[in-house]
Amino acid sequence: MNTLGQLAAIIAISFAAAEVTFLVKGPPVRTFLCDPAALKPDEICLEQIPKDTKILWVDARPRKKWEKSGLPGSVLWNLDPTENNQKFEAEIVPQILETSRVIVYCGDENCGLSREVAKRIRALDLGPEVLVLRGGWQALVDAGRIKDSNPKF
Amino acid sequence: MKYAIGIWLTFATWALGGTLDFKELSKEINAEADAMSTSAEFEFTNKTNKAITIKKCDPGCSCVAVRISDGKLRYEPGESGVISAKFDMTNFSGTVDKVIALFLDEDPVDKPSQVLKLKINIPVLVALEPKTLKWNLGASTTSQTIHIKVIEGQTIHVMNVKSSSEAFTLKLNTLEDGKLYDLIVTPNAMETPGIGVFRVETDCKIQKHRIQQAFGVVRKPTPAEMTNKP
Repeated sequence: MNTLGQLAAIIAISFAAAEVTFLVKGPPVRTFLCDPAALKPDEICLEQIPKDTKILWVDARPRKKWEKSGLPGSVLWNLDPTENNQKFEAEIVPQILETSRVIVYCGDENCGLSREVAKRIRALDLGPEVLVLRGGWQALVDAGRIKDSNPKF
Repeated sequence: MKYAIGIWLTFATWALGGTLDFKELSKEINAEADAMSTSAEFEFTNKTNKAITIKKCDPGCSCVAVRISDGKLRYEPGESGVISAKFDMTNFSGTVDKVIALFLDEDPVDKPSQVLKLKINIPVLVALEPKTLKWNLGASTTSQTIHIKVIEGQTIHVMNVKSSSEAFTLKLNTLEDGKLYDLIVTPNAMETPGIGVFRVETDCKIQKHRIQQAFGVVRKPTPAEMTNKP
C-alpha cells in the first residue's frame, strides 16, 4: 500500500472509531464537572454543599434572567449600571443575618461577577461565610436545581 | 507507513486551533473619580499559519461592552485587530478586576482559548470604616464609631446622617471639616434584635459618591463568636 493509501486507511479508521463511539456512548454531554482540587479558596462545588445547611443564594445575573430562571429562594444582587447597589446592600443585610452561609452564582464558569458581588458581601463583615459557586447557574441547571431543568448527572 | 502517520500528525496539528498573539494580556487603568466609563484596547495579531475566527468575546458582565475591530471576526495569518473594552463604572468604586473570555474557532462553550484581564482602580472619595457595627443581644449598651474619611486632595463635607431605624442614635463628630469625621452610633435597646441602615449624605459633586451607607446590627452572637468567648 502506498503512502496515500495508508493515509486514507488511517483517516477511515479514525472516522469509523469516532462514529462507533458516538453510536455507543451518544453525543458528548456538556455537563459542568466541578473538581474540588481545582477550586479557588473562595469557591465551592455544588456537590460539596450539605443538603441541610441554611444558605442564602445570591444571583448575580441580570434581573431579567433572575426573574426567569433564578434558583427558587435566591435574592438578586448584580452590578448592572441600571440597578441600585445601595438598595441591594440594604435589602440583603437582614437576610444574611438569618443564615450561616452565603453562596453567590452568576451565569457560568467564565462569569466573574459572582466574585465581585461576593467581595462586596464579605466587606459587610456580617459573619456568615461567603462563597462563589463554581460553574455558576449552569451547575445548578445540570443538577436540576433550576425550575424546568433536568438533572444531567 | 511513517510518511502516512507524519502527514496525519501534521494535518491534526494544523486542524487544532491556534491562538491570537496579544501585545498585552492584561491592562491596568487608573480611572478618574467622576468618569462614568473607561476603555482599554487589546491589540492582537494572528501569527499562526491558519485563519482564526473569534467565535465569542464574553466580558461576563453587562458593565463591560466589547467591540472587535469593526465587527471583523475572521483573521487570516498575519492579520491584526483590536479588542476594545468599555467599562461602565456606575456601580463600582475601589479596585475592580474584569476578565474577558475569548472563544476561538472550536473552543468548547465552557473553556475559552484566551483570557484578557482588566484591572480598574477607581478612587474611593468617601470611605466608611467599618461598614458594619455589631452588638451582641443582651450585652451592655456601648457606643461604637464609624470613621468617615475623605480621599486626600479633596474636600467633601458630610451634610447629614440618618438612621433607618429608631433603634439607633447617631452623633456626628467633625474631626477635620471636609476631611475627617466620626459617626458615633449607640443602640437604644439591647434586648431585641435590630438592624439600622445609616445614610451619610455629603456635598460631593459626583452623584454616585454623594450618599454612602453603613449598617448597625444587634443580634445573637454567631457560633464562631460564642466559641471564641473567653
